[in-house]
Amino acid sequence: MSVAIAVRVRFFARLRELTGVDVEEVKSTPGATVASVYAAMRADHPALPRQDGVSAALNHEFVDWNVTISEGDEVAFIPPVSGGEI
Amino acid sequence: MRYDVVTTPIDARELEAVVTHAGAGAICTFSGIVRDNSRGQSVTHLDYEAYAEMAVPQMKKIGQEIKDRWPEARVAMAHRTGHLEIGEVSVVVAVSCPHRQEAFEACKWGIDRLKESVPIWKKEHAADGTFWIEGDEKKPVG
Repeated sequence: MSVAIAVRVRFFARLRELTGVDVEEVKSTPGATVASVYAAMRADHPALPRQDGVSAALNHEFVDWNVTISEGDEVAFIPPVSGGEI
Repeated sequence: MRYDVVTTPIDARELEAVVTHAGAGAICTFSGIVRDNSRGQSVTHLDYEAYAEMAVPQMKKIGQEIKDRWPEARVAMAHRTGHLEIGEVSVVVAVSCPHRQEAFEACKWGIDRLKESVPIWKKEHAADGTFWIEGDEKKPVG
């Protein structure tokens, strides 16, 4: 039997506007990855773009999509930052 | 050392005061200014949005990268968010070092890394519409 874990999901800039959400508490299952959280969010918010071109952060650090989440984590989905011409 | 995301105007002189000390013979300060044009279109103003809880630690990490490469450097950085008018300062990186060569290099390292790894986004209000700037791309709003 698996117990649901709660994580906080945050969206910024264009992704925040596309979802209309800046922060959302979501339930996930143990073993869930950052990628599976994003896939679940895309199911709820079809306007979200495909995963390529988006970065993920876990507890304020950039992470790979296959990192596993834990209870109480903060997951953020981040569009490319502004950059700027050199 | 100082790393800030702020909503009020940035005073570059204040950041220079943070890094100045008797052994620093050179302070290099980069100020990013809101420009009135972009990609051939006139720009009226910008909005910056930050993931502040992540942006500040990322700035500290860049400060550490600078210290690893130029051990005598002292670093201060600030980025402003919210509504910015043409001519206002959006970002400042100030670095002090014993000599100018490393001050120039360390300051360039700081602003280049900030632009690529600190989660702050720019929304451009231009003559041809409003866009989120994502790296080299501009994406229409809405």
